[in-house]
Amino acid sequence: MKIFYFLFLIIVSVSATAQDHAMHDMDAHGHEGHLHDTMVDGKFLEVDSQRFDTFVSNLKGKQVAIISVSGMVCDFCARGIEKTFRRDKSVLKVDVDLTGGKVLIAYSSEKNIDFKDIKMKIMSNGQNATDLQIIEF
Amino acid sequence: MGIKFVFFSILLLMLSQLEARPISYSGGSTLMMISNQMQDSAYYHYSPTYKFSIGIQKVKHKYFNSSYSYLRFTYLLNRKNTKDSQRNLYFQSGISSDGMDNYFYGTHGDWETRRLFSGFGYKKTETKRQDYFEQYFQVGIAPYIGEYGDLHTWLMLKSKNNELIDNWDTYPVLKMFKGNALMEIGYSDSSKWDVHLMYRF
Repeated sequence: MKIFYFLFLIIVSVSATAQDHAMHDMDAHGHEGHLHDTMVDGKFLEVDSQRFDTFVSNLKGKQVAIISVSGMVCDFCARGIEKTFRRDKSVLKVDVDLTGGKVLIAYSSEKNIDFKDIKMKIMSNGQNATDLQIIEF
Repeated sequence: MGIKFVFFSILLLMLSQLEARPISYSGGSTLMMISNQMQDSAYYHYSPTYKFSIGIQKVKHKYFNSSYSYLRFTYLLNRKNTKDSQRNLYFQSGISSDGMDNYFYGTHGDWETRRLFSGFGYKKTETKRQDYFEQYFQVGIAPYIGEYGDLHTWLMLKSKNNELIDNWDTYPVLKMFKGNALMEIGYSDSSKWDVHLMYRF
C-alpha cells in the first residue's frame, strides 16, 4: 500500500508544478481595465474584469463566448468543463471565473457558436449552462 | 445561546467530504487513497457519464486483518444546481472479491457553496464475519475564496461512527485542493489519522 501513496504523491507534485507554470504564464499578461460596466446584448457582462482582460489580451479577430453556469461552486468540479471544451478543436482557449459563475471560451471568428452544443457539454460535467453572451474582438 | 453556540452552528453547517465527488465528469477517471482507523485502500473509478461511476477498490481491512477488492458502483440519485450552490445525493454499492456474501451499499449526500459545505453518509457492509454500518456527518468553511487555479482550503469538522467500534468520534479535518489533486487530513486521539487523497484525470 505504501507504494501507492508514494506514486500518488509523485503524480500530485508533477501536476501542481505544471499548473503553477500555466498560471504564471497567464499572470504575465497585462490588465487593461474593468468590464463591469460593459453591456452585451442589453445585459451587463458580469465577469471578473482582470481575469477577462487577461483572457482576451491576445484574441484580436476572435470571438469569445461567456457562458453562465449554475452549480459550478468549486475549482475541482469546474475542471471537467475545461477538459471537455479543450477536446473541441474549434476552441482556442478556455478559462473559468468561479466568482462570476462564468466559463470563457475563445473561438475563431468563423465558428458558429451553438448554445445547444455548449449546454450539452456543460451538462456532461453535471452543471447547467443558463446564458450565453458572445463578444467579437 | 452564546458565541460558542453560534460558532458550533456555523461549523456544523460546513462538515462532510470524504466521499464527495464520487463521480467524475463524463469520461473522467479518479484515483483515491484512503487511510483511517479501519482500513487502507486504493480506489480507481471511471465515469462514463456524470450520472454514475464504476471502479475497483483494493482494501486492507485493519479490524478484520484481511485484504480484498471491491467492484464498486456509484449512482447520482439527485442533483440540484443553483447559481451559488450545488446539492447531491448518491447511492453507492460494491461487491467483494471474497464472494457474493460480501458487499456494501449506502447513500451519501452533500450541499455546498463556495464558502460552506455540509454532507453526510451511511454505509452498510455485509460480510461472512460480521455485518456493520458506518455513518458520518461533516461540515466545513472556506477561510478564503480562491479563484480558479488557486490553492483552495477548507476547515472542516467530521463526526463519524462505525458499528464495529460503536463510538461517535468528532475531529477537525483540513482539506486542500489545487488543480486536479485533493488532499484531506483529519486527526483525533481515538481514531488517529484519517487521510484521503484524490487525483482526477
